[in-house]
Amino acid sequence: MTRAGNDSHGRTNQRHAPTHTAAMSTYAHPDALVSTDWVAEHLTDEDVRIVESNEDVLLYRTGHIPGAVHLDWVNDLQDDVLRDYVGKDEFARLCSERGITKDTTVVFYGDKSNWWACYAFWTFKLFGHEDCRIMDGGRAKWEAEGRPLTTTVPEYPSTAYAAEDPDLSIRAFRDEVLKHMKKGGALVDVRSPQEFIGELTHIPGYPNEGALRAGHIPGAANVPWSRATAEDGTFKPREELEAIYLTEQGLDPKEHTIAYCRIGERSSHTWFVLKYLLGFDRVKNYDGSWTEWGNLVGVPIAKGEPEKE
Amino acid sequence: MTEALQETLDLFAGSDVETRRMLLLDYANGLPELPERYRALMEHGLGRVHECQSPVFLYPEVEDGAVRLHAYVPPESPTVRGVVSLLAQTLDGASPEAVAAVPEDLFQQMGLTDAIGLTRQRGLAAVLHRVKHAVAEAS
Repeated sequence: MTRAGNDSHGRTNQRHAPTHTAAMSTYAHPDALVSTDWVAEHLTDEDVRIVESNEDVLLYRTGHIPGAVHLDWVNDLQDDVLRDYVGKDEFARLCSERGITKDTTVVFYGDKSNWWACYAFWTFKLFGHEDCRIMDGGRAKWEAEGRPLTTTVPEYPSTAYAAEDPDLSIRAFRDEVLKHMKKGGALVDVRSPQEFIGELTHIPGYPNEGALRAGHIPGAANVPWSRATAEDGTFKPREELEAIYLTEQGLDPKEHTIAYCRIGERSSHTWFVLKYLLGFDRVKNYDGSWTEWGNLVGVPIAKGEPEKE
Repeated sequence: MTEALQETLDLFAGSDVETRRMLLLDYANGLPELPERYRALMEHGLGRVHECQSPVFLYPEVEDGAVRLHAYVPPESPTVRGVVSLLAQTLDGASPEAVAAVPEDLFQQMGLTDAIGLTRQRGLAAVLHRVKHAVAEAS
């Protein structure tokens, strides 16, 4: 059996067809997305695993897509001692427990316009899982379409999963961000305008994860992450995304680009949009983000509106 | 602090992490319906806790020295809904002074940090703070 998936160049070796709708096919790498229809037709495929990842840790238990497993960004993906992601052995264990093999097509979905699903997607990519997809529209769209939900937690035979060393082509660290900033490299700050301008250190309505200074990394553009999503939680069509990121913000898909937010979660959503929907091949997520930058001694910070180039 | 809240605290603290999550989900499912008289206020955005990531609406009443907390939290936010429900049920009939005396680290004492993660627990502390504040204002 051949494996379906988008390889590192975004090309497809087709097995499941079609995985996406006509509208999705205009994106740079449409195979990174699947529709709710596709998921509904592949619920019991052995080589497909549906993974729900939410902001709310209890939401999966109230009902989820039949056969879907749960992955929590706090309790599963983050190390509880180091400020870092889990190591590759722990990541391998998470996959093994969920019956995921290296060849499994992993489809992520969740609440808040797939915000946390993109975070899980990014983490899977970090550890070298090749075939990852996002269910466009997430949990809200599935529910709105009246599709089935269940509280039955599935069990799958555990697998032998060998995770890869972290792929640092998608993850930026602070020293690299500082060099990138000094060179005038493209930076996208996806937080709210109030956080960007420096009026607030955290998102309105969210707990403050602690930054001693407010503002943004000098030279960064400000595009709140949610501008990439439509009312129904799906991603906006390619031309609308291009109007925002390319025309309005002047970002170039060929350039090294770094996205950041407060703790690296909202920016993983924008990272997904830039890389897979708009074809930015060299975009990284700076997961240290503002809770690191805004606390570092001596690094430059700007306040106010975005600086004009 | 009330007897009911103390009992709930002890129940959570004495349970394993998985049971704590189940208990919280039970509370989420058991949040009483918002009385009809508050519906219009809610539709106009009154009573909304703006510090909270989820749409949380609190309508505390104090009558003859007894607190009654009416609230709405959508089912898509079961964690916050569970916590609000837990407070509404265990503080029902308490004196405003007893509500004011609820310890700030209640959720930590209950062991929710382990059950839901430290980051999320900070958000819940804000909910408790707002409940206490709203009750104090209504008294």
